[in-house]
Order: sequence, then structure tokens, then C-alpha cells
Amino acid sequence: MASFRISGLSKSYGSNVIVDDLDLEIDEGEFLVLLGPSGCGKTTTLRCLAGLETPEAGRIEFKGQAVYDSSARLNVPAHKRSIGMVFQSYALWPNMTVRRNIAYPLKVRKMKDAIAAGRVEETAEMVHCGHLLDRYPSQLSGGQQQRIALARGLSARPDLVLFDEPLSNLDARLRDQVRTEIHRLHESLGFGAVFVTHDQSEAFALGDKLAIMRAGTIEQLGTPDDVYNNPATDYVADFIGMSNRLELRRSATGWQTGDGVDVLVHRDLPDAEAVVARIWPEDVQLHRGNEPLPPHAVALSASLLSSEFGGRHYDVTVAAGSEEFRLRADAATHGSWLRSSTAGEPVAISFRPDQMQVYPLGEVAVDRPLVAAS
Amino acid sequence: MAMTRPLAMLGVDLQRWRSRLFYGALVVALGYLIVMPVWRLQTLAFENDAAGYESQFGRPDIGETLRTTVGLAIASLVIAMVLGTLLAYATSRLPRRVGFLRIIPVLPIVMPSVANVVGWAFLLSPGPGYLNALMRQLPWWDHLDSGPVNVYSSTWIIIITGFGLTSFVYLFVSAGMQNISSEHLEAAQSSGSSQLGVFFKVVLPLLRPSLVYGGGVALLLGLGQFTGPLLLGQNEGMKVLTTEMYRRTSESPVNYAAAAAAASPLVIVGILVVLSQRFLLGNQARFVTHGGKSFAPAGGRSYWAAFFVGLYGFVALVLPLLGVLIVSLSPYWSENLSWDLFTLQNYREMVRTPGVMESVSTSVVTSLAAVAICVPVGLAVATLVVRNRHLTVVRTIADVITALPLGLPAVIFGVGFLLTYTQPPFILYGTKWVIILVYIVLMIPFATRMQMTALISMGNTYSEASAVSGASPLVTSLRVTLPMLKPAVLSAVALMFILLTHEFAASLMVRSATTQVMGTVLYDHWSNGSYTLVAAMAILMSAVTAAGVMVAMLVGGRNVLDNL
Repeated sequence: MASFRISGLSKSYGSNVIVDDLDLEIDEGEFLVLLGPSGCGKTTTLRCLAGLETPEAGRIEFKGQAVYDSSARLNVPAHKRSIGMVFQSYALWPNMTVRRNIAYPLKVRKMKDAIAAGRVEETAEMVHCGHLLDRYPSQLSGGQQQRIALARGLSARPDLVLFDEPLSNLDARLRDQVRTEIHRLHESLGFGAVFVTHDQSEAFALGDKLAIMRAGTIEQLGTPDDVYNNPATDYVADFIGMSNRLELRRSATGWQTGDGVDVLVHRDLPDAEAVVARIWPEDVQLHRGNEPLPPHAVALSASLLSSEFGGRHYDVTVAAGSEEFRLRADAATHGSWLRSSTAGEPVAISFRPDQMQVYPLGEVAVDRPLVAAS
Repeated sequence: MAMTRPLAMLGVDLQRWRSRLFYGALVVALGYLIVMPVWRLQTLAFENDAAGYESQFGRPDIGETLRTTVGLAIASLVIAMVLGTLLAYATSRLPRRVGFLRIIPVLPIVMPSVANVVGWAFLLSPGPGYLNALMRQLPWWDHLDSGPVNVYSSTWIIIITGFGLTSFVYLFVSAGMQNISSEHLEAAQSSGSSQLGVFFKVVLPLLRPSLVYGGGVALLLGLGQFTGPLLLGQNEGMKVLTTEMYRRTSESPVNYAAAAAAASPLVIVGILVVLSQRFLLGNQARFVTHGGKSFAPAGGRSYWAAFFVGLYGFVALVLPLLGVLIVSLSPYWSENLSWDLFTLQNYREMVRTPGVMESVSTSVVTSLAAVAICVPVGLAVATLVVRNRHLTVVRTIADVITALPLGLPAVIFGVGFLLTYTQPPFILYGTKWVIILVYIVLMIPFATRMQMTALISMGNTYSEASAVSGASPLVTSLRVTLPMLKPAVLSAVALMFILLTHEFAASLMVRSATTQVMGTVLYDHWSNGSYTLVAAMAILMSAVTAAGVMVAMLVGGRNVLDNL
């Protein structure tokens, strides 16, 4: 059952449309991630849910009750919505101790019983900050501050917890730790959550459902698995990190790359003059100079641009005509020659035909790829 | 649900209208308080076929008066800009061990301007001035009977005024300098700029808004300069527009219309400067610099900087204070100092002199009352301007109105209030209220700006975090916004208290025989030539201010003055 429902939501600043007739549903206990580049309207959507921003049109329902309805001129202010929110800048009040910060939502909502029952301490323990209760925020590290902010957002056990890019001020290692903690807390407390981010790895790790946004609308809505394996459009594929892009044009005999090099695709492609194929870097194989190429693979000759050591693998960039390809080469197989290689060395790349996601060239907003990967 | 919808809708609309009504009323009240006196003044000048203008600007010496006014303003501005910028640069280069010297360039603001001016008179008056007497001991001046410096000449009035304005320029420029991160400078240096090149190509351009803004404020203060020309300039008949306004309202035949006409050029320039600053502020974003490290010019830390800052402190603060102190302890003011004659007699006499102690309590009470009203009003205006962007018209009006008193000399408000509150509907002349009201008007810019800056730097997130935690706007302001604003509010209180207990120009206009403040009583005794009493009073005024600052520091911590 959809617990929270947004329908027909629109918001603009002047002539600049930020959110454009957006529909979205969040089920009870569901973790929804809004993913998109800056300016796509994800934060504005979140702030409309919170009641911090007033939309121009549409309707927002919390558990069947409207909290915003443009046609009824209804707008329930933020403090009367059952929400918790975690901000990018933590926004812990510097004049209050950690204890008072966490207790604040309980106090102002007059939940004295919960305070008496030790909810503050309990919530602080959940984020492993029970020993910090009497400190001031300025005495804490960034990671601790964001954990406290998390505890504050959860202490009143709101129906919906809103996360506004909460991890982007943390350094890489802390980001992973706090991310794991958010995931664990969601599993144990089961709150509904909307999480805004521009980082696809965060989105894949946390979301029950992903909504990839573009220019105020939702480009694709689906499970992480669904989005990863079947990005709906070229735009989504690009944004989630499917960075290798190959233009294919129909020729008299078959298909050519954008540079006019003939290429065997070993599969049916849509009935179009030109298409765009997207391939994950992990799916691209690297072949040295005169090595035999695997049969029935799509193969392109290329030249080496750079290779970076990454532990068990190398991150390799090659140029195939005017297109650049990024790929991951296994260190055990390729490490020895990559170490001594120089830029410009001739190589070849290949990938399985079913590893291509194919989209019509120039068009973007379609529901599904024209040819689904098998 | 069908029931709750219209009810909730009503609530939202009600709330929206309540805030509109509140801010509307606030702006109307402030408009009456601030704009009305100036408006009354200008209409009066135009009455009877602009007889006021004819009387004021038909005088043969008006050209001289205007030239003196502008010359005083520009020349003292130049001194203040150069000294203020140098001081700001010097304080940024202070050796770490003497970093506390940073406070020195601000301290002259704490000294009452009347005390400062009489201090200089005691030092540099051509006959009995102590410094003059000292200089006459030197071989190349030992033939003189008086001089070599004449503090009553326009040159020296300009120098003393420029010294006073330096602190204001310093405040703006040093604030601007702190916004330049050392990384900006290092970036320029590593790109191949020489140190001089960095200063002229990076530092000065980034300081441009501070220089323009600080210069604008100092120019207005120079144009409205009153204390120096009145106390020192009368000996040699120096006239500026502000002293003309005082003369026309205090000497018979009293001619308010002529005084009003004398104010017109100052009103026009003031409004122009305020509006153009508003206009220039529009695209300040490109001057906003961000960087972790604070400003630290290359070339290391310098003891020359410490020497320069110390020298300024000695000349601008210690010397005049010393002059006042010596006279206050002497039986009479003469060039011959004799330590064994030092006595506390003047202080005993001061306490016995009728009106003196009352003036202290009047000053303190009116200042405190004005501050107590200014803080919440300033917070309301700051909230309106910073947080209610949707009320476009009201917030723009509020923004401009509250900046206006900074643009107009206090004398103008003094005369305007005298005019407005000696007639219906509010006859307040002779009461403390007229003083409190004019003090409120003079301080509103400070109360508003300082809290506005604090609100802006606080950002919206803290109050949003409170709202999503379930706190109503009222609870949010009581539990989050106000506690977080406390340091800024205390700084504003300290600054306003300092400026008000010193207030002289506006007080001189609205005082009455029975209601006097410290500055006006001091002036009366200066006019009577009771110099030893004047000196004791100047010390008393400084002591009252210092006590106020001390209390503010006890409540708000030692960094209350850092926020100036």
C-alpha cells in the first residue's frame, strides 16, 4: 500500500521549472532514493515533502491524509507533518548538547513519556554515540555529527525520514561507514525514507527503489537491480556509470561505428538508421596486440591511452577511433604488460553483444530499451 | 478529512495575513519615526515660497560654508581612507605575540567624541596647549609665544576629524580583508605575481566593496561632522552646514526654516549614498571569497606593523585622554604643569554641580531604553528582510528606511525631532521620551544590520531542522534562533550603548533645560569656559562607557567587541 503519494507536483522559480508534474509513491517502510545531477529537482521534491518549500500545483498525501493540495489551498506546515530530516550540513544546533539535540523533536512534540523511557539514550546508542551525549556539536568530528543528526531525525520515530545528501560532506571512508549504518537502522526500525543523492553507488547500496530524475521529472523508477541491468534511457545509463558509449550507423552491409569502421554486432538491432550502445566498463575485455579475439564478440581495435593501478585490477582507458572506452583489466592477467606499456600501444577491446544496451540515437525519453538484454 | 481541509486552509491564510499585518504595522511605525521628522523639515524649508532657502542660501558667506563643509568631508575622508587601510593591513601582519593589538584601531570609537575633541584642545590649543608648550621648548620654535599648532584652525579640525573617521574605515576594510583567504594570495604568487603585484591585482580589487562601502560611510560622517567644528571651529568663525543648523535653532531670532534648508544638501547626498550602496550591494556575490585559511599576507609578520598600530593607538587614544586627565586633575588649565598641584577638587566640584549627576542617569536610562527597544525591532526587521523574501515591497521599504539614519547626520534628526515633537499629535519635548525616540532612530541601522548579518551567516538550515523536528515558528525562534543570535545581539547592545552614552549632536537639539544628557552638560560648561569641570566630565563619560562595555563583556564573554 502506498503510504506517501505525490501527484502532479510542480514547482518553479520564476520561469525556471524545477519540478514538472511529478508523480511518486513511497510504500510503508520503503527506502526510496532520488538520484540525479544537481539542478534536476530532487532536493526541491524532498523539501516539498518536508513542507519547507511550497509547490505551485499538485497534491501530497501522508497515510491517506493530504498535507498539500493546491486545489483545496491546503498546506500543512513542516512542523505539523510527522517527519524527520537529515541535512547535508548536519544542522546540529551548536548551542545545545548532543542530548538536547536528540531530545528536541521529542520535547517540541510533547513526547514526555518517550524521554522518560530513555528514548534519547537508546537512539544515541543505535548510532554508537551514547558516550557523546553531554558534548557540544563543535567538539565532535564530522562523522559523529552526522550520526547525531541521524539520531535526531529518528528519535521521534517519524513516519517518514528525509535525507538531503547526508553523506556528501563526509570523506570517503566515513561515507561508507555511515551509509552502512543508515542501511542497518532502516532494516531494524522500518521507517519510510526518501534519500536524495547524486552518487549512484549510494543509491544502489541503500535504495529499495530508485527514481532517477532529470529536469524535474522521473526518467526511470525501479529496483536497483532493474535500473542497473536495464537502464531505461541513454541518460540513465550514462548517469549510473555505464560510461562507454558507442554510436552505430547502418551501412550497406551491416553496421559501422561513428567513425565509419565496419563492426559485426552478432545480434538484431532495432530498425533504425543509427543507435547508441552503452556498455559497463566491467563488461569490456582488453586484448593485447595480436591476441586472438573471442568468437561472436563485438570487437574493436584501439590504442592504449592510460592505465591506473587499482589493486586487483587496472582502470584502463583506450581510444577506439574517436570514442574513448574505460574498462577494468584483471591485474593477474594484464598487470605484467600494462606496467611496462606506453600510451599509443595497439590493443583491441571486445564485449558480448548482449552486454550492449541499445537506445535510439538522439532520442532519450523512452520507457524501456528498444532491445532488452537477455 | 473533509472537515480538516477548510480549517487548515483557514489557518494557513490567517497566519499569512497575520505576518503581513505585523510587518506592515512595523514598517509604518518605523516610517513615521524615521521619515516623518526629515519630511517635516523639508516641507518647512519650502513654506512661504521657500523663505528658509532664501534666508539660508541667500547669505553672502554661504559659498564659504559649503566649501568648508565639502572640504572638511573630503580631506578628512582621504586621511581616514589611507590610515584605515594601512591599519587594516598592519593588523593582519601583527606578530603572533602581540596579536591582541588588533583591538586598538577600534578603541577610539569607545572614547566619547566630545572628550576626544576637548582632549585635543587641551593639547594643541595655541596658548596653553600642553603639546604646544612642549614643542616651544625645541630650539627651532623657542622664539614663539603661542603655537606652533593651532587646533582651532581648519587644517587641524580636518586632521582630528580624519583621525576619528579612521576607526570606521578600519572596521569595513579589516572585515573585507578577513574574507580574503591566504590561498587567493598564494594562488596569485604561484602564478608568478610579485608581492606588490598581489597587493594591487588581487588584494585591492577584492577589497573594492569594503573600500567603497567604508568610504561612503566615512564621507557621510565627514559631511555630517558636528562636534569638532562646533567645539573647535567657533573661535575662528568656522561654519559648516551642521553648525549652521544648530546656530539657526539656538540663536535668536530662531529660524527653523533656515535650519531645515541648511539640512537639504546633506539629506540629498545621504539618500543618494544609501540608495547607491543598496544598488552596488546587488552583485556582491562575486566579491565573496571562500577559503579555509584566513588572510595572511606573504612576507612574514612584522614588528613594524605592531609599531604602527601602537603609534596610532597612542596618538588617537592615549594622547587626548592624557590631555583630559591632566586638566581634570589640575586646579586650572595652563601650560605649566606642576605635579604637586594635582588634586581631585574638580571631581568633587563636578559631583556638587547641579545637573551633572542627573545627566549621567538620564544618559544611562535613555540609552538603555533605546537599546531595549532597538534590539527586538531590529530583529523583526532583520527577519523580515532576510527570511521573508516573498514580501518583496514591504521588505525593500524596511531595508531602505532602516539604512537611512546612517546616511543622515544626527543633527538633522535632532532638528527634525525638535520640530515634530513640539507640536501635536505627540508633544514630547522636555521629556526623556523625545531623547529615547531620537536615540532609537540613530541606532536602528546598527541593530538591524548586525542582526541581519548574524541571521544571514546562520543560514536557514538550523530553523528548518527545528521545523521538521515539529517545532512551530514561535518555538523555533525562542529555542533555536534567539539563543544562536545571542553573541551578535550582545555585541549590538554594547556598540549601541557606547554610541548612545556619547551621543551629542542630536541630544543638543532635543535637550531641554530640565532634561540633559552628559554630552550636552559638558558642552554648556565648555561654552562657559569651565575647562577643569569639562575635563572631569569627559573622564566621567569615558568611565560610564567603559563600565557599560565591562558589563557587556561579563555577560557575553570577552569577544563581544570582536564582532564590531
